[in-house]
Amino acid sequence: MKKMDKRYYGEFGGQYVSESLMNTLAEIEMAFEEAIKDEAFKREYHYYLEQYVGRKTPLYYAQRLSEAYGTKIYLKREDLNHTGAHKINNVVGQILLARRMGKKKVIAETGAGQHGVATATIAALFGMECTIYMGAEDMERQKLNVLRMQLLGAKVERVTSGSNTLKDATNEAIRVWAKTAEDTFYVIGSAVGPYPYPKMVKEFQRVISKESKQQIMEVEGKLPDVVLACVGGGSNSIGMFAEFIEEPTIHLIGVEAAGLGIETGKHASAMALGKSGTLHGMKSYLLQDEDGNIQLAHSISAGLDYPGVGPEHAYLRDTKRVEYVSITDVEAMEALQELCKLEGIIPAIESAHAIAYAKKQAQKMKKEDIMIICLSGRGDKDVHTVADYLEGKGYMN
Amino acid sequence: MSNRIENRIQTLKERREKALVTYMTAGLPDMEGCKALIKAQEEAGTDILELGIPFSDPVADGPVIQAASYKAIQQGTNLKKVFALMGEIRNEGVEIPIIFMMYYNTILHYGIKEFVRECVQCGVDGVIVPDLPLEEQKELRKALEIEKAPILIQLVSPVSTDRIPKILEGARGFVYCVSSMGVTGQSGNFHQEIINYLSNVKAVSKIPVMMGFGICYASDVAPMKDIIDGAIVGSHFINLMEEHKYSIEAAKEYCQTFKRELNAL
Repeated sequence: MKKMDKRYYGEFGGQYVSESLMNTLAEIEMAFEEAIKDEAFKREYHYYLEQYVGRKTPLYYAQRLSEAYGTKIYLKREDLNHTGAHKINNVVGQILLARRMGKKKVIAETGAGQHGVATATIAALFGMECTIYMGAEDMERQKLNVLRMQLLGAKVERVTSGSNTLKDATNEAIRVWAKTAEDTFYVIGSAVGPYPYPKMVKEFQRVISKESKQQIMEVEGKLPDVVLACVGGGSNSIGMFAEFIEEPTIHLIGVEAAGLGIETGKHASAMALGKSGTLHGMKSYLLQDEDGNIQLAHSISAGLDYPGVGPEHAYLRDTKRVEYVSITDVEAMEALQELCKLEGIIPAIESAHAIAYAKKQAQKMKKEDIMIICLSGRGDKDVHTVADYLEGKGYMN
Repeated sequence: MSNRIENRIQTLKERREKALVTYMTAGLPDMEGCKALIKAQEEAGTDILELGIPFSDPVADGPVIQAASYKAIQQGTNLKKVFALMGEIRNEGVEIPIIFMMYYNTILHYGIKEFVRECVQCGVDGVIVPDLPLEEQKELRKALEIEKAPILIQLVSPVSTDRIPKILEGARGFVYCVSSMGVTGQSGNFHQEIINYLSNVKAVSKIPVMMGFGICYASDVAPMKDIIDGAIVGSHFINLMEEHKYSIEAAKEYCQTFKRELNAL
């Protein structure tokens, strides 16, 4: 029975990869399961999260935002992590695992460059050789992050196949991995890919909700009513939801990118249309055309610009444990500016999607209700996009 | 009940010949040209033909087949049209065994049962799905349990090791041995332990063992001629076709020469 298969979340997940990666995945799974039960490994992981990444991150009561929106809002400040987003939590875990497995090299895909920068950072910290695969188009529009990765000693490989973006960079990383798995570890940045990757990413991002739960209990003495996070591939959201999934009273909301609007076809809401398929080693909801080819996602936020979503999210959607909604480019940009002015925080455009939906959700909530939003990253990387948007030039994503 | 692949393998066995399997991307240079190429290869003596169904994200393919796939999609090639092409050539008497090489999403999108039914109707003899390892084959295998259904060809790689016997259990047609790790079209530099690996596969396989990935000429397989039962040429054949503007003569010449040299090894 599929339902009993640990590689699956309901009918989603699995290992849709070439035969040459099957033993590699089995090795990773074994090493991972051992590591997360090993006190020494856990100590090391938490040591680096505290001393290097700067955890724990604050659960900040956003007073002015709360007043403006009409409910109590707490922001989980993942933007305050080293390298500016939640991505690094997972990278620390995966690279420690790679080291434990005796791998000397790491590779990773990146879209906007955030996961690439996080991987290059931790690879530098541990003295590992690092290659980042990035679409030619993304390299053009994210020049600063390319430079950052290079400064950190990583090699950035330009990918010029297919659409020259994140999905193609991921394809290329998978190809290289299949050839080099003997000495190379593939660090996947989102809650996607073949099993055990979605599980690993969730475990290494779980710290977000673990801290939040403790922090909200300390301040409020009770659990939140609503927990909100944006969803691209779904790494910050799965980390934000992990500890709350088993708390049935909490309303969990995942916010996908609606781009120019779902009805225009130019969006990144893999779950809006509910068509499942296989890509990047997993079965999940995917954007695809009438021939079953994968469609390009569209969002002003490069981090949400992915045509699929992690398999556990697909499952959480179908079982209705999590409500998935979407926010357009325009709504996200308004929310971004609002947060800047009300709280003095420039959020990543990804995170601004969560803020934008929070405003809508707050209208259904009482003044004393509590909402936690995952502020997954800071917006410094996005200021050019914001500038172009405000000048009405359109934007490059 | 007989399957064209298994019939051909029987014939090859009787003739003590090795098989030449070629790969071409469906829809190139266009549908008509593709049809002509299939016919030319049958005449030239190619034993089995793999027809690649283009997909937007071909993770098991190297740059040559990626580019071919991309081009074919741009020209509007899709599974439906390739089924139509198959139906036509079978009606026109083409009997060369044909295998669809395709990614699993294309099958899922078409609908697994509908896909198998259409294969039966149009005379597709086999299916290779490079992103569908043994553990994920259950659903497709179930659908393939109908009469005249195509054979699901199994792939093994140099790092399959302990998985090989399990993969070969119940495998039909032939076993596709990936000669180097990774993707199609890396020339020359075969995996260091390839001879050992092929011998291991051969030792447990009840069906012919074919080697693919990175083969250009018959001489490339000379070192393993006593082990393998056939060679699969993909990227090199596509390159050749691109170079010769999909010339029928060039295709024929190449296949005839390869087949002759293969059997003279």
